[in-house]
Amino acid sequence: MPDNAIYYRLAYAATLLLYAGYALSLAWRRARLARRRAGHA
Amino acid sequence: MTDSPSTAASSRRLDPVAILAALAVVAAYARAIWFTPPERVQGFAQKILYVHAPAAWVAFLAFGLTALAGAGWLFLKDERLDRFAESSAEVGVVFTTAVLVTGPLWGRPIWGTWWTWDARLTLTLFLWFVYVGYLVLRGAIDGRESRARASAVLGILGALLIPFIHLSVYLFRTLHPMPVVARPEGPTMPPVMLKTFFLCFFAFTLLYVALVRARVAYAADRDAVEDAARG
Repeated sequence: MPDNAIYYRLAYAATLLLYAGYALSLAWRRARLARRRAGHA
Repeated sequence: MTDSPSTAASSRRLDPVAILAALAVVAAYARAIWFTPPERVQGFAQKILYVHAPAAWVAFLAFGLTALAGAGWLFLKDERLDRFAESSAEVGVVFTTAVLVTGPLWGRPIWGTWWTWDARLTLTLFLWFVYVGYLVLRGAIDGRESRARASAVLGILGALLIPFIHLSVYLFRTLHPMPVVARPEGPTMPPVMLKTFFLCFFAFTLLYVALVRARVAYAADRDAVEDAARG
């Protein structure tokens, strides 16, 4: 069997980072919006 | 039609679908890493399939629904459809990025190259460009109605690439592997791998639903804040 585990580890790490990063970006945008809304209130 | 702004309390509450999606994704990764054997010929690189193929499925689903919601907006002019289309397109771009990152990581050890201008790879890259363009276009148009109209048209046209990408392995000479699960003769995978494959499909579809719900809620809040700022 070929020794290529590094590629699948990289793929799994990259996808996890991508999805978690996007979820965090959504949370950050909502927090920024909440601050903006508080500024208007 | 407009939504009333969600309360600060509701935006802080964690969506149960998001919790379920996170648990499903953790279970899918754990099963793929620790409880699914590597394939004999391809070795561990074959495990990339469990994150690559479901990401492609979700990207197609996301862009297909973007097109449907865009078409719906053209008929009904309902802002909720435009917010859904915008959200689904953005999440679709995230999943297409995952496809474009994991594909070369599989291609390098198996094909001996990171990238080749094969029909399926090239069309998938075009799909990514079209929907990145869709998001850029939305950012460039101020009027809500003109933005919704222009992006609905682009969203529908972009989705026309999906059947070509799906059928590209049959229509063109391509290096990309043929389907191993969705084939008339039945799947060629052993049951242990097939279960992991379906779990990953389920988990990433649920993740799509959770991310789109969060993104739609954000878009509704953003529009409400903009309306309030205009008075």
